[in-house]
Amino acid sequence: MAELAVGIDLGTSNSCVSIARGRKVDVLPNAAGERITASVVAFHEDGAVQVGNVARANLILDPHNSIASAKRLIGRYSFSEEVKKARAICAYKILDGPGHSVRIQIRDELYSLPEISAMVLKEMKSIAEARLGQPVTKAVITVPAYFNDNQRQATKDAGKIAGLEVLRLLNEPTAAALAYGFGKGLTQKVAVYDFGGGTFDISILEIGKDVFEVLATCGDTYLGGDDFDDRVIDLLADEFVARHGTNLRSDVYALEKLKAAAEAAKRTLSVESQAEICIPDIAKDAQGNPLTVERILTSADFEQLVGDLVLRTFKVCDEALQQAGLVARDLDGVILVGGPTRLPLIRNHVKAYFQQEPRTDVDPDEVVAMGAAIHAAALVGDVVTEEAAGGGAFLLDVTSLSLRIGVAGGLAESVIERNTPVPIEQSRSFTTTQDNQERVQIRVYQGESRRAEENELLGQFDFSGFKRAPRGQVRIDVTFEINADGILSVQAKDQETGKVASTTLTFSSGLSGGELDSILEANRTGRVQTEVAADAEIEAALPPAPKAAPKPAPFAARATPPPAKAAPPAPKQAAAPARAPTAAPKPAATPRPAPAAAPAPAAAAKPAVAAKPAAPPMPRPAAPAAPKPVAAPAPVAAATAPEDVDVVEDGSSDLMDLEDLGLDLETTQPSAVSAEPAEALPVEGDELDLVSDLDALAEASAVEESDLEGIEIDANGDPSQPTELMTGAESLFDHGADLSRYHRDDE
Amino acid sequence: MISAAEVRTLAKLVDELNYYQLLELAPGAPASAVKQAYYAASRKLHPDANRHLAGEDRDALDRIAKRISEAYQVLRDQRRRQAYDEQVSGGSTRMPLAEADARADKQALDDYLGKTPNGRRFFGLARADLDRGDLASAARNMKMALTFEPTNEGFKKKAEEVRLALRNAPPGTVGPPPIGR
Repeated sequence: MAELAVGIDLGTSNSCVSIARGRKVDVLPNAAGERITASVVAFHEDGAVQVGNVARANLILDPHNSIASAKRLIGRYSFSEEVKKARAICAYKILDGPGHSVRIQIRDELYSLPEISAMVLKEMKSIAEARLGQPVTKAVITVPAYFNDNQRQATKDAGKIAGLEVLRLLNEPTAAALAYGFGKGLTQKVAVYDFGGGTFDISILEIGKDVFEVLATCGDTYLGGDDFDDRVIDLLADEFVARHGTNLRSDVYALEKLKAAAEAAKRTLSVESQAEICIPDIAKDAQGNPLTVERILTSADFEQLVGDLVLRTFKVCDEALQQAGLVARDLDGVILVGGPTRLPLIRNHVKAYFQQEPRTDVDPDEVVAMGAAIHAAALVGDVVTEEAAGGGAFLLDVTSLSLRIGVAGGLAESVIERNTPVPIEQSRSFTTTQDNQERVQIRVYQGESRRAEENELLGQFDFSGFKRAPRGQVRIDVTFEINADGILSVQAKDQETGKVASTTLTFSSGLSGGELDSILEANRTGRVQTEVAADAEIEAALPPAPKAAPKPAPFAARATPPPAKAAPPAPKQAAAPARAPTAAPKPAATPRPAPAAAPAPAAAAKPAVAAKPAAPPMPRPAAPAAPKPVAAPAPVAAATAPEDVDVVEDGSSDLMDLEDLGLDLETTQPSAVSAEPAEALPVEGDELDLVSDLDALAEASAVEESDLEGIEIDANGDPSQPTELMTGAESLFDHGADLSRYHRDDE
Repeated sequence: MISAAEVRTLAKLVDELNYYQLLELAPGAPASAVKQAYYAASRKLHPDANRHLAGEDRDALDRIAKRISEAYQVLRDQRRRQAYDEQVSGGSTRMPLAEADARADKQALDDYLGKTPNGRRFFGLARADLDRGDLASAARNMKMALTFEPTNEGFKKKAEEVRLALRNAPPGTVGPPPIGR
C-alpha cells in the first residue's frame, strides 16, 4: 500500500485533516462526524486530555484548565504583545520559560506551546487513523504565510511531539490556491484572502497550469476572528457594567460564557441579519438575584464594532498587490479562506475592494487542509495524484518576511528581501568595527524594519578565528540559504583565511534541543483521548467540572442555529448526568465507527504512556497528577473503548519514529558556532558593519561636496570622518533619504 | 524531471552560465518570456519535481534551483535586469540581488542628482532657486542642467514641473523675492 501522508490545517480556532488519494481529496471527519475539530485542549483532573468540541465546552466549565487559540502564542517570546494580551484575558496561568519562552501552567504541570499544539495534532492524527484504518506518520502542516521562522519551528516541533514526520510546512493561502486550482489546468491570477481565527494573510498567486507561483504574500499575525469576539465581549461587558454595576470581566467563568456567546453570535450573523444573545444567571445582584445578559446584535451593530478591523485587512491587500505589481482588476479570482469570511460584512467589503464576487465553490474551512493533503501526496510520490494534477503541481513559494543581519548602530541589513522566490541563497559582505577585533556576533533577524529591535530575532552565533586587523580591514561574507523545505541556514566566511562557520539556525521555538527530547520522552500527548465512540455517547463525556458542572446550559443562542458544519460550541446539557467514574474501560463491545475495513489502530492513547518519569530539564514543581496508573478511571474513558495493548504499541511506536526524526533536530554546528535563543536582545558590543561588496558602486556615486554647494546635503557630517556606519553604500542610502525629504519640501 | 547525470553536468556549469543561458532565454527576450522560462526551468529542475535524487545529486540540484530563483528575481525586474545586462557584457555571470538593487538605486540616484559635475551644479542651483520661490531663475538653471545631461529622466521631469509652475504662476511672483520680507 502506498504510504499515506495527510494534510493538516492547524487553525487558531479549528483544525481539519484531509487526505488526497488518486483524484480524490477527502476531508476526514471526527468521531462525531464533524469535518472540523475545535483547536481547544481540555486538561482533566485525572490527567486525561481532550481535544475538540468537547474540550470547547469545557472552556466554560473549567477555564483554568482549558486552552483555546494556542496558535496565537506559539513561537512567540514572553514579552511580545500577543502574550501580554493573553495574560490579561486568559484564565490559565502564563509563565516565563527559558530564553523568554512561554509556559502554561495547568494545575501543577508546565506545558510549552508546541506541546499544546501537539495535542491538537495528535487528535487530528488519531482522527485520520480511525478513518483510514492504518497508522499515519507523515503530514504536511499548514501555517499562516506571515508566521516567522520561530513560529514555524515551534509548529514543526509540535508535529514531532505528536509523532508526525512533518514533510513540509505549507503556507495556508498557498495551500488554498493549490486546492482551488488542482488538476484544472487553469491559467489565472488569483488572490487568497485568508481571515482566520487569529491571523490574516493575503497571497497573490499566478497559476500557470501545473505551476503555482506565489507573486507576493503579506499578512498580519495580530488580526483574526478572535478580535471580532473580543469587541463583542467588550460591548456586552460594558453594557452590563452600565446597567448592573457588575464587571463581568473579573469573573473568569462569566468571561468564558461571554466569549462563547460572542462567537455564537458571530456565527449566527454569517447567515442571519441579527443574533439574539441570552446568557441567563451570569452573575448575581446584591440581593442574590440572578442577572441575565440579553441583547440583540444586528449586522449593523456588528459592523460598527468591527468595521475598522475589516478595513485594516485591505491595507495589507494594498501592500500585497503593490508587491506583486498588480491592481485588483488584474485578478481572475478571489478565494476566501477562514470561518469569518462567511460573514456578509467581510464578503461585501472583499467584493467592493477586488471589484468582483469572491469564489463560492471552495469551502473556507476545509480548503487549506485539502491543499495540504494534495501537497503531502505529491511529496510522498503519489503518482496518481500527480497525474490528476496534469503531471505534478509545483509550488513556487516565496519568503514572506525579509531576513536580516544585525549591524552596528542597532540596525538590521536585509540579506534576503521578502517575497523572494525559494529556494534561494544570497550573500553580503560585512566588516569589523574595532581594531583587532577577534569575534563578531552574527544576529539573524526577520522582519521589515531597518531597526533591529523592531524585527524578530531568530538566533545568533559567534564567529571568530578570522584575521586580526584594523577595523574595516576584515571582510566577512555572510550567506543565507533557504532550501526547498524552507529551512534557513546561515554561513559566515572570512574571505582571506577561508575560515568558515555555518549553522542551521536553532530557532527560538520556545524549546531548547534538550527540552524537546525530554518532552518526547515524557510523551504527555499520549494522554489525548480521541473519541471513537458513537455520537450518542459523546454527550456523556462531559467531565464533572469542579464548580460549574451541575449548572444548566450556561447560555442559549435562541436565534437560528448556525450552519451545520460549524456546530455551535454550546455545551450540551449532559443527557446523562456526568457519570460516576466507572473503573475499567469497557472491553471491545463499544461501537466504533471504522469506515475502512481494516481495523483501526489505537486511536486512544492512555495515561499509561505518560507514566514515564519526567526528564529533569522541564521545570515542574511537583507532579502528583502526572504518573497515572494504567487503569485511571477517567470518566471519559468509558466512551472511548481503548484496548490496552494497542495503547502501549501506539505510544512506543511514536517514540521510535521520533528517535529517527531526532536527527533532524540536531544543529550542525562545526567549530565555535553555537546558536542560542535570545538572551540579550539589544545590539551591543562587537558588531558587524556593512561594507565593501558595494563599495566600488558607492564610490562611483559618492557625492562630491563641491557639486553640492548651496544644497544642504552634507548635513549628515564630514565624509572624511565616517561614523561607524558611514561606509560607502550606507552613505548612499542616507543621502538618498535626506534628499527625498528635500524633494518633498520642493513641492 | 532530470537525470542524475544531467544534474551533475549542469551543477558544474552553473557558475559559468549567465542568467539568460540558465533559463534558456534570448538576451533580448520580452518580460513575458522570462516567466515562461522560469516555469519551464522549474518543471524540470524544481527539487519537488525530482524526489528521486538524493545525497550529492540532491545538493547539486538545490544549488541549481537556488540560482534559477536568483536569475528569475533579477530578470523579472526591469531595473535589476538593466543593471545585470550592463554587467553581463563584461563577462561576469552572477549578480546578487542586493547588488542589483543597489545598482538600480544608483541609477535612480544619478537621475536624481545628476551624473556630471556641471549637471549637478545647475540642478542644485535650480533647487535652491525653488526654495526661495524664484521660478524664473530655477527654469534657467534647469535648462543649463539639461544641456549637460540631456538624457537624465529626473532632470527632464523637474524641468517640466518648473515650466508648468512658471506658466501657472501669477505675474510678478516668478522672480526673486523682495529683500527683507
